[in-house]
Amino acid sequence: MRTVGALREATPGAPATRGGIGTLLDRSFRYWSLVPAVLLFAALTLYPLLNLVRMSVSTVGFANGVETWTLTPLRNFAAVLEDDVVRPAVVNTLVFVAVSVAIEMVLGTALAIAVAGLSRAKRLVRTVAILPILVPPVAIGSIWKLMYNYDFGIFNQALVALGAMPVNWLGSTSVALWSVIAVDVWHWVPFVFLILFAAVEGIPPDLLEAAHVDGATRGQSLRFVVLPLLRPAIVVAFLFRAILAFKVFDEVFLLTAGGPGTSTELVNLHLYKVFFEQNRLGYGAVLSLAVIAAIVAFLLVSRRVALAVAAMHR
Amino acid sequence: MTTDTRGTAALRAGIPGRLYVALAIFAIVAPFLWILTASFKHQIAIYAGQFPFTPTLANYADVLFGRRSDFSGNIANSLIVAASSTALVLVVGALAAYSLQRFRWPAWVSAGFLGWTLVFHMVPVLTLLGPWYVAFRELGLYDTRAALVVTHVTINLPMTVWLLRTFFREIPPEILEAAHVDGCGPFDAFRRIALPLALPGLIAAGILAFVFSWNEFPIALTLTSRVTATVPVAIARFAQQYEIQHAQMAAASVISTIPAVILMFLGQRFIVSGLTLGAVK
Amino acid sequence: MIANLRHVRILLAALALAATTPATAQQKAFADVGKQPDITVLIGSTPWYPAFEKVVGLYEQQTGNHVKLDVTPFGNILEKARNAVRTGQSPYDLMTLDTQWTIEFYEGGFVSPLADVDPAFAMPKEVFHYGDSGYWNAQKRWRTAGGGKLMAYTVLGNVQLLYYRDDVLKQAGLAVPKTWNDVLASCTKLAKPPSTYGFVARGEKGNGIRYDWQSVMLAEGAQVVKDPEAGDFTVTINSPQAKKALDLYVDLLKHCGPPNYGSLGQGDVIQLLATGKAALGDVVTAAFASFEDPNKSAVVGKLDTAPLPAGANGAHGAVIGNWNAVIPKNAPDAQKKAALAFSRWFLTYDAQRAFAEAGGIPNRSDVYTSDLAKNPKYRWMPAYLETQKFAKQELGYAEGAQVEQILGLRLNQALIGEMGAGKALNTAAQEIEALFRKNGRRTGVLPPLPE
Repeated sequence: MRTVGALREATPGAPATRGGIGTLLDRSFRYWSLVPAVLLFAALTLYPLLNLVRMSVSTVGFANGVETWTLTPLRNFAAVLEDDVVRPAVVNTLVFVAVSVAIEMVLGTALAIAVAGLSRAKRLVRTVAILPILVPPVAIGSIWKLMYNYDFGIFNQALVALGAMPVNWLGSTSVALWSVIAVDVWHWVPFVFLILFAAVEGIPPDLLEAAHVDGATRGQSLRFVVLPLLRPAIVVAFLFRAILAFKVFDEVFLLTAGGPGTSTELVNLHLYKVFFEQNRLGYGAVLSLAVIAAIVAFLLVSRRVALAVAAMHR
Repeated sequence: MTTDTRGTAALRAGIPGRLYVALAIFAIVAPFLWILTASFKHQIAIYAGQFPFTPTLANYADVLFGRRSDFSGNIANSLIVAASSTALVLVVGALAAYSLQRFRWPAWVSAGFLGWTLVFHMVPVLTLLGPWYVAFRELGLYDTRAALVVTHVTINLPMTVWLLRTFFREIPPEILEAAHVDGCGPFDAFRRIALPLALPGLIAAGILAFVFSWNEFPIALTLTSRVTATVPVAIARFAQQYEIQHAQMAAASVISTIPAVILMFLGQRFIVSGLTLGAVK
Repeated sequence: MIANLRHVRILLAALALAATTPATAQQKAFADVGKQPDITVLIGSTPWYPAFEKVVGLYEQQTGNHVKLDVTPFGNILEKARNAVRTGQSPYDLMTLDTQWTIEFYEGGFVSPLADVDPAFAMPKEVFHYGDSGYWNAQKRWRTAGGGKLMAYTVLGNVQLLYYRDDVLKQAGLAVPKTWNDVLASCTKLAKPPSTYGFVARGEKGNGIRYDWQSVMLAEGAQVVKDPEAGDFTVTINSPQAKKALDLYVDLLKHCGPPNYGSLGQGDVIQLLATGKAALGDVVTAAFASFEDPNKSAVVGKLDTAPLPAGANGAHGAVIGNWNAVIPKNAPDAQKKAALAFSRWFLTYDAQRAFAEAGGIPNRSDVYTSDLAKNPKYRWMPAYLETQKFAKQELGYAEGAQVEQILGLRLNQALIGEMGAGKALNTAAQEIEALFRKNGRRTGVLPPLPE
């Protein structure tokens, strides 16, 4: 732990007093540090959010080039219940999110710890490791679609060369969702890695040194020192990864368009069809709100599960 | 950027660790190599999964110099938008995250703001497009890079704030108190002490904000047209009505990662050097 | 005497030179449109876009007017079009809409009838009607020339054709299939997986299977809805004829298609034909050009086209998927006129011929009866011309997108075996009927098929 005293000495000559605008800035720093974010956010998000809520209880029509809004809250909510695609979409999405995020968290955290333990080439490895998130999602979807291609894709070509049977990656209802999950994992492990790596880098070396001196094995120092310290970063990575997973669109759209059957029908994909292709804005808004509710529910449940697991280990 | 080897000695990767890293790097890079080879193939060679194949530069030529391509313009747009929005979101986000962490705000303020950003993050982007299109058109900002910068900042602000918050939380308050006692104003304390200590977080948040802005598609599509279109919009044009022009899409994807990687390298250096000027390790 | 001769020779030489020098003056414009303000066109990224761009270049060259093309990814044109018409002034003066989107724009009143922009505008009679998708009868809420106003014209009229490998058929001693049963018989003989698939068509859930299957459906004499033009929205999708068509389609793909037939999209179908793996295929006309490009195809010169086969009763069926050019109501007046002027130019014989030569699909019958049709490069033309006699517009009502979603799912489920054909059609019928009922249409349903 860095001593306060050492810090005092190290602080470069900070002026003892500052006059005029300097003091004003300092005194109001508390406010003007937060206000820009609040103002910017308010300016850009209030209108869309209010619009969304209003749409969710209305039916939006067009006549003579003019929008007409009619209040139809019950009709919109009824539409959710009547929509046959919603149930499989929700189930698939929950499976997709739970599995993808779990795999990504494990792989990403493990990679962050492993890379942090490298003696050289850390920065290079980090740059290479984040390449997948640099590729536009539309390119990822189409490239993986080619790789999964039944007749000519590289996976099946390799399987056939090894004497095995080719797999119907995107055309079989039992395999398709897993194929999509695999693409998601490839795409997003770097995201988790990046956040966790920054967190590992931020661990004060003294702590690790102390544990090492105390005779802890690597496994023990990992479990009792590193992981608990990484907890806040793990939480943030999980939070945002889960939310993003609920919003996945491009890859699924290009890979399977929600098929075959309903096996890869995901909520966001269905939302796109309702909102854009079918132009049902009111119902689409309700679905969006339902998605938000589902995400919140999922996060709350995850939190419960995580607390329970942590309690078990203690 | 810590190069302290004492701590990492405790973490030093053994054989399984290094093997895992190697495997992971292979799994990550392999599809890239695939994209790279595809970019030098003719469409028919991609269709038939040919290997070996006769390489060609025609795809790159088509993407960069083709009659209907403004790809260099698109890259310029993406660079400007991504760099600006990243810089802006880091400034605004770091200040806000620090403020929420350091100063005692009433619960409704901090929980309210954080909760609101999180809920906003959950809203599907396509429901935002309509209202934003209308708003920016009314303001005369349709088809401008400024509109994209501002919307990208909004989209990335939740993650930036939440991420930086965890890093600022790790800073012991005594350090900041000590600086205060020393006559260091709160802004100076933020700039010279907190920021350097949160450097890894800043870099991670910066990289993520940059990448998300670089790859952002729906908003860029809605708010721009030919002149201000960004790279994802240009690449999406290769996904045509009946088929995808894989060859050109691969070439465009390869080209688009280069400036992004360069800018990220430079950006990291910039942040690091900017903070180590008169900062504390 | 010699001096005079020399003068004459010089004069003759000069005259000869003048006669053979290409005219550097502007080519005579295909139509006299006068000076017009710049216009901006919303157009999608499609295989025929380069051809359109060339023709536009010709227009600019001939008339000196400027046309800006906003090339948008195909999946996002609708969004851009909607945004353009819903607020203030439209950034586009001419927009190309896929046929299933037109109803929304006609009904919403977003589009100016062409006669309102210029009362003197008349569609040349040689231009194909494409099922009257450019007309709107507001009272009937139906696209028909009878009592309907002209709202759009077709920029690119796509229909699907039967593509076949002449060499493969000849080798197997088979004739070009004329009915769908012929196709089934031939393809089972030709199928030698995994090196050759007998027949490929879309099986992908959604628009893919819906569009391709409906050609077979129409050929077997089935319909989705009884008589929408007259307002009778009785659902007839679960008729015995439709079941026959579905059973046939499933057989075709299961026995002759690749193992992943349940997820084949148009790109996959094109890929299988272009790599030479498929002997027969149901593909859009617009793909022909890419089959003739050595960079994109391994079967250059080997694919021929025929109209889609007929059903058991000899009736052919094909679905029209055309791009309609509309003029937004909220565009400035002068630019609306400019857009229409361009359109007038585009619809001339010369412009359409130039469009064909650049790789596009012309929309005038006289181009198809010209000498171009005899050129092997355009050997798809006779099949296309023939198809215009029976091609139809489908799902031409406001609920079209939802009906497509229902059909697209149930058909796909029948194809991959998740439910039987009878059950799939019955389920679809019930769902479509419920949809029409909720929208206040006069509807009913047929007695269910045996499942």
